[in-house]
Amino acid sequence: MEDPMAAIRETFFQECEEQLAELESGLIAMENGTAEAETVNAVFRAVHSMKGGAGIFSLDALVRFAHVFETALDKVRSGELVASPHVVGVFLRAADVLADVVRAARDGGQVDEARTSAMVVEFAQIEDGGGVAKAAEPGAPAPGETLADTPAQIGGWEILFTPRPELYAKANETAIILRELKRLGPISVELDASRLPELHELDPEGAYLTWRIWLEAACAEEEIRHVFEFVEDDCVLSLTPRGGEVLAPAGFAPGTVITGDNGFKFEFFPPVAEDEAEPSPEPEPEPEPEPEPVAARAVAQIVPPRPREEPVHEAPKSPAVEAMAAKAEAGAAVSATIRVDLDRVDRMIDLVGELVINEAMLSQRVLEAGINRASGVAMALEELEHLTREIQDSVMAIRAQPVRSVFQRMPRLVREVAAQTGKQVKLLMEGEGTEVDKTVIERIADPLTHMIRNAIDHGLEPTEARLAAGKSVEGTVKLTALHRSGRIVLEVADDGGGINRARVKQKAIENGVISPDAQLSDDEIDNLIFLPGFSTAAKVSDISGRGVGMDVVRQSVAALGGRISISSKPGVGSVFTLSLPLTLAVLDGMVVSAKGHTLIIPLGAIVETLKPRGQDVFPLDRDMNVLALRGGYVPMVDVALALGYSEAPIEPEQSVALLVEGEGGVRAVLLVDAIHGQRQVVIKSLEANYRAVPGIAAATVMGDGRVALILDVDAVVKTARSEARGAELTLDAN
Amino acid sequence: MTEGLELPAILDLVAAPGLLEAFTGRRGQALVVNGASVQRLGGQCLQVLLAASRAWAADDVPFAVAAPSEEFAANLELMGVCAADLAHRAPLAGKEFGE
Repeated sequence: MEDPMAAIRETFFQECEEQLAELESGLIAMENGTAEAETVNAVFRAVHSMKGGAGIFSLDALVRFAHVFETALDKVRSGELVASPHVVGVFLRAADVLADVVRAARDGGQVDEARTSAMVVEFAQIEDGGGVAKAAEPGAPAPGETLADTPAQIGGWEILFTPRPELYAKANETAIILRELKRLGPISVELDASRLPELHELDPEGAYLTWRIWLEAACAEEEIRHVFEFVEDDCVLSLTPRGGEVLAPAGFAPGTVITGDNGFKFEFFPPVAEDEAEPSPEPEPEPEPEPEPVAARAVAQIVPPRPREEPVHEAPKSPAVEAMAAKAEAGAAVSATIRVDLDRVDRMIDLVGELVINEAMLSQRVLEAGINRASGVAMALEELEHLTREIQDSVMAIRAQPVRSVFQRMPRLVREVAAQTGKQVKLLMEGEGTEVDKTVIERIADPLTHMIRNAIDHGLEPTEARLAAGKSVEGTVKLTALHRSGRIVLEVADDGGGINRARVKQKAIENGVISPDAQLSDDEIDNLIFLPGFSTAAKVSDISGRGVGMDVVRQSVAALGGRISISSKPGVGSVFTLSLPLTLAVLDGMVVSAKGHTLIIPLGAIVETLKPRGQDVFPLDRDMNVLALRGGYVPMVDVALALGYSEAPIEPEQSVALLVEGEGGVRAVLLVDAIHGQRQVVIKSLEANYRAVPGIAAATVMGDGRVALILDVDAVVKTARSEARGAELTLDAN
Repeated sequence: MTEGLELPAILDLVAAPGLLEAFTGRRGQALVVNGASVQRLGGQCLQVLLAASRAWAADDVPFAVAAPSEEFAANLELMGVCAADLAHRAPLAGKEFGE
């Protein structure tokens, strides 16, 4: 039998990652002043949820640290602590530590006790008198622990707690709850086993016990409800302030709240507005104003339970839980999102890809059969095409995600690298909401990490050099994501010293990468750093030189059908530009032919198509012509020649020209024999199915079943230009 | 003859049905429950233990909990039960309300 706890545990850690991301983005918003009123609540909630889940799995180190962190955040929430830049800085570091504690819990690693202890001390320091740190100790809530708006109960509390079977089925445990209560203050516990049936009648998955707990702590009801917040719907719970008048068995003391079997809450208070009286069903312990108890008369108010989304870490595993889930559904609980195994989505995308190919083949057959375009068949086919396209877009949208998930890892990286290099670095991010296919997202993290390390380690100058250059001490690294021409473009810009071109060129000559007499443009020199085995650093540094050169970054980017380039200005800084397809699954392309070969040119790269006239063509050198176009000259690339399909260049006047724009705005005119139309094609990797071919990005299957190659426009253009100039840059090295 | 029953380390919701079965199968025989390896005790296994203790008392057959681990004893105490109270003829753990 599959261990239900293992599955729940796995989901818990997945959720932790989401909460950590939420936490960090909230703290960053607080740091740069874009936080909203809700931000601090969201941040608190993230830590609180992690603590709650960790308690279920007895992850004590995580519970302890999250508790201290949460207490400090709560003070900000209640206005007791001002979220100054220093305080937020401490929180950000604490978020890093928390992430490590979570991962140590997940992977069974060791928690760095020294680091967590140091963090606890820092928490204490940001709070005058160190009340925050003290509050973490069990049994001694600091005066500040009490929420400002919630009256504390001086005499302690009497708690009646009767778990229902669902509570256990969701992997919650009485012992954990009692232990949590102990953190609030000393408890004495009395067990009532009077409902326990005979051994032979006992349902091992039933729940028959009631606990009466006396809590000796001057804490607010809200704090006790925190402890029960994950189980409140799965138990009968009553809280009675001690010292208050306890009614006869027929009734309950004023102030008693009972959660009934059907999920209704009976509140023995004067009627109040629902949103004030009902404990929030979210893991969000908003301080609720507690009305003064009315001693003379207890008024029961029935509050229907608010539909709630079942947390996924309570994934149904046993029949009892499944029944519970069904009940929740019947209760009109509508979940906004579902988790789906990525394999299932991938399988669907593959199938839709096949559907697109199939639909293209069908169109081809209809055309070959000479069926009239106005016929019913042709029209139905057109509808099918439209529908296929919509299905494809919808399926792709399922996998599209904002790059935020990757961007969110970068602030921590910057903090760490800045600390290691002793540089002060400010990270600016733009376009986190830019969406891209999940397959791409997963694979941009590594190159991006390396680019940012590189920007801080090599790009930004040491502090003294910055001051000498009249720059601010704090260097800036800017990370930007945007959509351009149907691709996603990621830029990492630094305001450092730029590339030392003389040194780069010298190094390239020494390594035999270029010949000593090669004439290279600044741009080409800059791009030498992407060549294998190239490093100008005298020694490999710990930061960026982890055995991974920029060439490896470039290769991994190229494997994604992407490109990386750099532009640099001495003294001003460098910009690394990473351009990737939005998806690795489909492509809009122009179907062309060159010397009998069918090729696909990505539509995103094409600016316009034209028919060249003889008088507009000018020879530049032996292999390169340029085309006069609206007052400028654009280099012409004979595609058949560039790909080796032909030895003899095509006559420009016999050809069709496509004006394309590559990375960095480089334009060129591609000459082909003919254009056959526009089509969406399903990308099939050449690397995976055959091997990488220079100048070819991928392949596809056409409607007639033949394989067509997808042109790597940039590579072809760059190579043609480089060859024309005689530089030793070939497609293989590019 | 006195039978022994070794309790598993984790007495959670997953362990409860097996534990109930183990007790039911030993009904009528003197039983020593070894709690030395117990690390975690959940409410549902506690119910089984309590019901077993009552059943043995009702049958008037000796029942004892031997060598409870620290965690076991602490968990029992936390939930308002003393390990010694589980033994046969001792008053049942936990008072009933109104007592």
